[in-house]
Amino acid sequence: MARDLAGLLTHEDLDRARDRWRVSRARWAERRSKMRGRLSVLWLLVGPGVLVFLGENDAPSMLSYSATGARFGIGFFIPFVVLTFAMGLVVQEMTVRLGAVTHRGHAELIFDRFGKFWGLFAMGDLVLGNFLTLVTEFIGIRAGLGFFGVRPVVAVGIGVAAVFAAITTGRYWTWERITMGLAVFNALFVPAAILAHPNWSAVGRAMVTWSPLPHGNLFDILLLILADIGATVTPWMLFFQQSAVVDKGMQPRDISAGRFDTLMGAVLAAAFGVAAILATVPLFHHGIDASQFEAAQFAEALEPWIGHAGAALFALGIFEAGIVAAIAISTSSAYAFGEVLQTGHSLNRPLREAWPFYSTLLGSACAAAALVLIPNAPLVFIVLIVNVIAVLAMPPALAFLLLLVNDREVMGEYVNGFWENAAAIAVAIVLVLAGLGFGIATVIHMS
Amino acid sequence: MKHSDARAERGAESIESGAQRAATPDLKDPSVVLSLLEADQVVAAKQRMHFGPRRLSLSIRVLLWGLRIYVVAMLVIVLISAIRAIHATP
Repeated sequence: MARDLAGLLTHEDLDRARDRWRVSRARWAERRSKMRGRLSVLWLLVGPGVLVFLGENDAPSMLSYSATGARFGIGFFIPFVVLTFAMGLVVQEMTVRLGAVTHRGHAELIFDRFGKFWGLFAMGDLVLGNFLTLVTEFIGIRAGLGFFGVRPVVAVGIGVAAVFAAITTGRYWTWERITMGLAVFNALFVPAAILAHPNWSAVGRAMVTWSPLPHGNLFDILLLILADIGATVTPWMLFFQQSAVVDKGMQPRDISAGRFDTLMGAVLAAAFGVAAILATVPLFHHGIDASQFEAAQFAEALEPWIGHAGAALFALGIFEAGIVAAIAISTSSAYAFGEVLQTGHSLNRPLREAWPFYSTLLGSACAAAALVLIPNAPLVFIVLIVNVIAVLAMPPALAFLLLLVNDREVMGEYVNGFWENAAAIAVAIVLVLAGLGFGIATVIHMS
Repeated sequence: MKHSDARAERGAESIESGAQRAATPDLKDPSVVLSLLEADQVVAAKQRMHFGPRRLSLSIRVLLWGLRIYVVAMLVIVLISAIRAIHATP
């Protein structure tokens, strides 16, 4: 087998082997200096988990958290948002194992194991959700830079240029490190929150007691609950992380590092999400109606309480969230298309070898960017439904994931254990109940 | 498909440890590349071999159809609700 393959090695294989060599070398060094070697191994293997969670702390998600802080202040939603990240962690850990064990992306496995019929359904959900979400990222980019007086066409152009710049590297490793470097700026919400002078004892009390509970219009509360869940657990994350784990070349012995990477991503993203809530709490205390606010309006409204610097940090944070998510989500679409069409689908491939992959990646970003610039395009409509659609599309995606990760022919000894299944099924039940609750409240609201 | 034979693995290990000690790997040598990658991690191997379709039991088909109907029904509700919300906005 190995001898047969020797003459068939591609550029992608060589780049992946180079990455694996660095991991092997770090493991070798770990035998001599345990701590230094281990840190080196972790540094080499973190990436997909951090990127998926900080990518999901995207423009609409940060706006959902901001709307939550402005509408309900410190209370139930602080621990609730942390819980949604715990739910995300349960789900994403399974994609690490699937990717590391099978070396195949999520879309490819669904098509292989469930056939074209069910595969097309899964792809339909992904394509619709990804495109709408990409549009909202460019809305965020436009609105974030709008705070600094940048014209929409320039702001959106910067977004497309960032996606393009990231893919010209021709190397997964470089792409990952550039995108992680950008994702670090998700932390801008932390100083913005500190400038809002939150009541830390109230935050601590809320974390323990989950109170005060939100009160008011049940429909509005359910909409925010759904939007906050959709800000953390979405189908593109499954497809992206599994494909990124494969592209990174992770192997079963890397699963524990992959788990650490995912945990680190979830913790960082939860901290930054809570920071976005805390940054907008002054709007709650001053009774300002933020229900129709966009990013720039949040920043402008916050200026009297957190100062110009704080407002600028907030606007920059929304811009950054949009950029990182635009890169990650367009990559997720490209991976899935490449896997389904059986064409080259790796960031380790040069442009000429995998042009359909890169065309999908850049084309989806350009289409979303163009839509944002069309006068009278239904952008408000898209922003309203994007996170809700993500939550509604998640249970079928989770069902495919659970069936795959319990499939012994695919996973061998790495199938889910009892507690992993129990946690994942609990997440699925929460998602279905949240969706049904929203549906029932909507019907009552409409009648 | 997942497990290459033990002899190949032992060979790969010895090459791998050589590769680990080297300052830079000699990636022109296919045996070095293949020692660093798992057999089914190589692009050509992935193109050759696929997991075949699994048998979907009745309960799995009911689950998948139920979830599909749930998504479509909920999407219709969300679309109607969002359209009404936009029309209600002055």
